[in-house]
Amino acid sequence: MIAAAVALGVLLAVLSGCGDLSRDELNRGAESLSALAAQGELLADGVARDATKSTYTRVMAKTLGGEAQHEAEKLADSEPEAAVKSERNATVQVAGELAGLFSELQTFPGDEHHGALVKKHMGEVKEQADAIVARLSGEPAQ
Amino acid sequence: MKSILKIALGVIAALGGFLDIGDLVFNTQAGALFRYDLLWAVVLGTLGIAVYAEMCGRVAAVTGRPVFDVIRMRLGFGLGLVALVASTVVNLLTVAAELGGLAIILQLLFDAEFSLFVVLAAIGLVIVVAVLPFGGIERIFGYCGLMMLVFVATAIHQDPDWGAVAHGFIPSLSSSTLYLYFVVGVFAAALMPYEVHFYSSGAVEERWDASSLKENRMNAVVGYALGGVLACVLVIVSGYLFHPLGVEPGDLGTVALPAQGAYGETGLLLALGGMMFCVGGAAVDSSFSASYNLAQFLGWEWGRYRGPEKAPRFTVSWLIFLFLAMLIVLTGINPVEITEYSVVFAVVALPMTYLPILMIAGDRSFMGEHVNGRFSGLLGWLYFALIVVLAIAAVPLLLATNGGGG
Repeated sequence: MIAAAVALGVLLAVLSGCGDLSRDELNRGAESLSALAAQGELLADGVARDATKSTYTRVMAKTLGGEAQHEAEKLADSEPEAAVKSERNATVQVAGELAGLFSELQTFPGDEHHGALVKKHMGEVKEQADAIVARLSGEPAQ
Repeated sequence: MKSILKIALGVIAALGGFLDIGDLVFNTQAGALFRYDLLWAVVLGTLGIAVYAEMCGRVAAVTGRPVFDVIRMRLGFGLGLVALVASTVVNLLTVAAELGGLAIILQLLFDAEFSLFVVLAAIGLVIVVAVLPFGGIERIFGYCGLMMLVFVATAIHQDPDWGAVAHGFIPSLSSSTLYLYFVVGVFAAALMPYEVHFYSSGAVEERWDASSLKENRMNAVVGYALGGVLACVLVIVSGYLFHPLGVEPGDLGTVALPAQGAYGETGLLLALGGMMFCVGGAAVDSSFSASYNLAQFLGWEWGRYRGPEKAPRFTVSWLIFLFLAMLIVLTGINPVEITEYSVVFAVVALPMTYLPILMIAGDRSFMGEHVNGRFSGLLGWLYFALIVVLAIAAVPLLLATNGGGG
């Protein structure tokens, strides 16, 4: 009985492409990145409008950038199911871009021009992340 | 005028106790995830803490007995010891979370190493408690915590769909485990056991007697109502700004973003300042509560008003709790995660805290003419039944939702 269950488990793993990163997990990762980008956009908006405090922006950008970087590394290290390999690569790229944008905010927390540029790019990165979520879930992007 | 000034105990209990890191985190996340749908749970929790705070303040004023004295008397040594261990663990986690929260806010304001601010925050709290009298501590944290009113102004500035906000006050349940987890979290964050431990011990510290009952009622109603309004406002501003964008506020700093959006740097500084005093007040409350409980259970001399000379074991235990909390935060565990676990585990300890209060407040031989009336008794038992249900559901929901991670 146990042997049959183990064999079935192995068979299912083979059929599903042997990956340890499922479509759902990748979807959750992309959603997290979209949420981080949205937060980054708000943060950058404060910088662009000169309506924030540099220390706050720097610390928040460091924390959120660390989260994006962690997500990028986690996804890059994972073995995706064959069907979502290209989406995994796209998500890793989005995470990397996001980490880079947060790094820029961290470096220039008081520069309004940089703030406006980062805000614009954060919006684009969010759209990319939303598009990945839409493709993975089969629902239209928001 | 005098009576207005006297509600300081209620205000600090509401802002430094009620509105602590748990409320900041859970209410903001609740708004981001479910928009205004959980406002009813905030009101339910606020009413619950007001009912029990009034009750334990009345017990302390009439009998001179704070909560843990009552727990030991009603539950006996064995069960009382279980309650002591459970509440001590929860209190220690809470002190660690508040201390970590305080360090995060200081870091957001001054940008240096987190561990440095953990140590500075602990030292700062020791100095404040050593230098100021009990009333001074209440006033500093309570009144400076009023900077949180910037969130009320933010909500007005945002001008959300007030019809949708009003709809959020109508109780609704969902089959989603994440929704149920946040119902428990928001409710439990309002009813953290240390709040009543601190409130009743504070009443003894302030030498309340039967003539203080009016003041007690005002504290419970005005103080917690103010805390409840601020907690609701956190849900509203987060629901308005974060929910449509899909922001998941997992960091304490995110809580301040709506105020920055509305009022720029001034709004941000007021928000961070208010949060700092609320979380700092809660660190004092919860660390005092841990020492109050231990001293009251073991029959030591206790109380800030007695000073370190007359209550040395109480003072040393307070310092030890603060030191242990500091070590927990310095291990690098995220204070927000500690908060989530301390709030959910607190639910499990709630029945052992609230049952003895309910029993003694309803005992005419102890309370005389100040015994629970029919209405307050009924309300108390209804809330107790709710607390028991949530205590049973809390840990399974924590596991099912991966700590609220979905």
